[in-house]
Amino acid sequence: MPDLKFAFGDPMVCTGCMICANVCSMFYFKVLGPTRSRVRVLRFEDGLDFPLFCRNCKDAPCKDACPEDAIMRTSKGIVTVNNSKCTGCGACVKACPYDAIFINPDSNKAIKCIACGECVKRCPVGAITITTENDLKERDKVGKISGFYEKHKRDLYSKGEFL
Amino acid sequence: MGGRFLRVDLMSGRIEKKPLDEQLVHKYLLGAGFLSKMLFDMIPDNTDPFSPANVLGFATGLLTGSMFPQSSRHVIAALSPLTGIWGESHAAGFWGAELKFAGYDAIIFTGASERPVYLLVEDSNVQLLEASSIWGKDVFETDGALRAKHGRQSRVLSIGQAGENLVRFAAIMNDRDRASARSGLGAVMGSKKLKAICVRGGGKLEVADPANYLRTMDELYKRMLANPFTRGRAEFGTTSLIELMQHIGRLPTYNMRQGVFDGYEKIGGHAINRGYLIKPRADWSCLQRCGRFTSVPDGPYAYTGGSPEFESQAALGSRCGNDNIESVLYSHHLANKYGMDTISLGGTIAWAMEAWEKGILTAKDTGGIDLSWGNHESIVKLTEMIAFRKGFGDLLAEGSFRAAKTIGRGSEKFVMAVKKQEIAGQEPRAQKSMGLAAVTAARGADHLYGFPVLDEVGFDDEIKKRFGSKYLPQMADRLNPTYKGIMVKECEDYMVVVESVGLCKYGTQIPPEFYYEDVALGLKIHNGLDFTVEELKRIGERIVNLNRLFNARFGITRDDDALPERLVEEEAPVGPSKGQVVELESMLSEYYSHRGWDSKSGLPTRTTLRKLSLEQEGQSLTRH
Repeated sequence: MPDLKFAFGDPMVCTGCMICANVCSMFYFKVLGPTRSRVRVLRFEDGLDFPLFCRNCKDAPCKDACPEDAIMRTSKGIVTVNNSKCTGCGACVKACPYDAIFINPDSNKAIKCIACGECVKRCPVGAITITTENDLKERDKVGKISGFYEKHKRDLYSKGEFL
Repeated sequence: MGGRFLRVDLMSGRIEKKPLDEQLVHKYLLGAGFLSKMLFDMIPDNTDPFSPANVLGFATGLLTGSMFPQSSRHVIAALSPLTGIWGESHAAGFWGAELKFAGYDAIIFTGASERPVYLLVEDSNVQLLEASSIWGKDVFETDGALRAKHGRQSRVLSIGQAGENLVRFAAIMNDRDRASARSGLGAVMGSKKLKAICVRGGGKLEVADPANYLRTMDELYKRMLANPFTRGRAEFGTTSLIELMQHIGRLPTYNMRQGVFDGYEKIGGHAINRGYLIKPRADWSCLQRCGRFTSVPDGPYAYTGGSPEFESQAALGSRCGNDNIESVLYSHHLANKYGMDTISLGGTIAWAMEAWEKGILTAKDTGGIDLSWGNHESIVKLTEMIAFRKGFGDLLAEGSFRAAKTIGRGSEKFVMAVKKQEIAGQEPRAQKSMGLAAVTAARGADHLYGFPVLDEVGFDDEIKKRFGSKYLPQMADRLNPTYKGIMVKECEDYMVVVESVGLCKYGTQIPPEFYYEDVALGLKIHNGLDFTVEELKRIGERIVNLNRLFNARFGITRDDDALPERLVEEEAPVGPSKGQVVELESMLSEYYSHRGWDSKSGLPTRTTLRKLSLEQEGQSLTRH
């Protein structure tokens, strides 16, 4: 398997402007609305802003949870949703440890980040990168960024409850 | 378009969902223009700002919630308890965009509630709910409590204790640190017993031209990011304007006695970046990120939160002779927490300090509080006392104009206000256009209604583009009163359009990157509305004239378009503008002639009103 890629945001660099969310909903669905975007942006009172994406897990719990076999991994290693199979049942939403897959209320299909990079190239502050677990470890040697995620994990991820 | 707004009667609790009148949008756009027309029609003559007859309106702009750069803004308006005339205030954040995604363009509140309430807006679910458990809480506590209850992704707008206590310059806050500060609209909200509006929007916005949308925004983003101003904005926000204003002698100091402050470096942008900045923060679709997130880690002034903008640094710093940066940061933090306008807060304290210096106010009046220039402990203490109307704070909570009227003894001449509202952070003897703009602004002293910054730091090319080269070099010279009338007039027309489409003045005026044709492009691809540049200009002019007609109903004439004596008669004593006064009368006459207003009364003529299709509204002039 190739190194699994995913989009990842630095909460100290992110300004919380929502441009990534707008780019996403406009690029894929030709509408604006955070609930139609594959990225969530959460702001915290200590100054951190988190743009949150699918982490493209090796074990992909969403894939295992899908009763329709609608979730698969492409040859490039990206987990994607097959729209013709997805029934919008939401089992993947509950299974995802990162609150990174949602049901689009317009299409009733699951949507998730596929690391396409459209938001990465438009982020005005360069807060988002396409990375891999190894690459991230290399760049965040002292664990500063992962520390921010660790600090807020209870409010960042809820198995779909906060969505 | 197909927009709609909420009409909420706080007396009966009735909530109506009403369609937007398309004719009204074509005549006034949305945002500030929409509220100008709605409230002109709804607020009766002789209304007391604190009575249930006052109407409190919230409106998004046509581009709020879009991808247009800096399209985060909403507008709030009512009859102002500070000025007794047109009251309007604006803020960025996310609340306005959230309201759009909930499916509403505006909310109009009439009447007053007997018990504290808040409005919950969750898409089609709109309810007035009991607010007794959050009444008495500060802005941050209210934000936390409502988001804990209604979901952490909800966006909260509220008043703090200052609004509840009817402080005449109370602000309405949203997203914790964003302030609709001026005009005392927080006190109107308090008088109506409306604590908060909590919004969660699960909907979407369809755009008029999806095929070209992203490509068009890419172009606008490129331009915004390439503008040389953006780098500085990102690094300092507005905080380093302290250094720039010192350099041109425009930094209000010692109650606007002078425009330079010895301690400016200690309260400037570099000092904040060095010691307290955590990171820049942005609002909806904002590329410039002038918002700052800061912390004073320890000591008596410890806090973590939003940082002051230039205006707060000047008001609570140099204007009060205060070079203690941590106290400036902290009193600003308290003003956000309790919900107050820092400009009027600092302006009122500075008035008291000058009266103290002259021996007009003594420890007997202040309850023992020392009001020497720069006494930062007193500034912080008074910030609390004003919000809660405690002791001497109760008098200052009335604003400097009313406080001076009560004290008398010659303290009136230290009131640095126009139409009872404190002048913002522009020492106008160092920039004449700002002096004119402060007197012509509809909401009383105000730098933002016209925001004539093109003569500030060498925007000669933009002046040429927007006005033509025949006005150069005089128009670009901040000390020269020539052509400032037409400049302020044109800037006002544009700025009210900007406030009606929900864009920020950063990006449209400083830097002057986007102008009418860009706004028209935005309205076309986002809203599907076809406006020519000429039509938009006419709409801006119409809104300004309607605001003037509103004020005429509440007694305003040319006599009220006046600056404090100090600024027109006393020469600036020191600094780069030494020897300057504001040549107000000549600028004002030029302004009236470009406006088509009668030079004696200062009110729109019949011809002007006819040109702007305001004949019907103009009938109010004959009643007064």
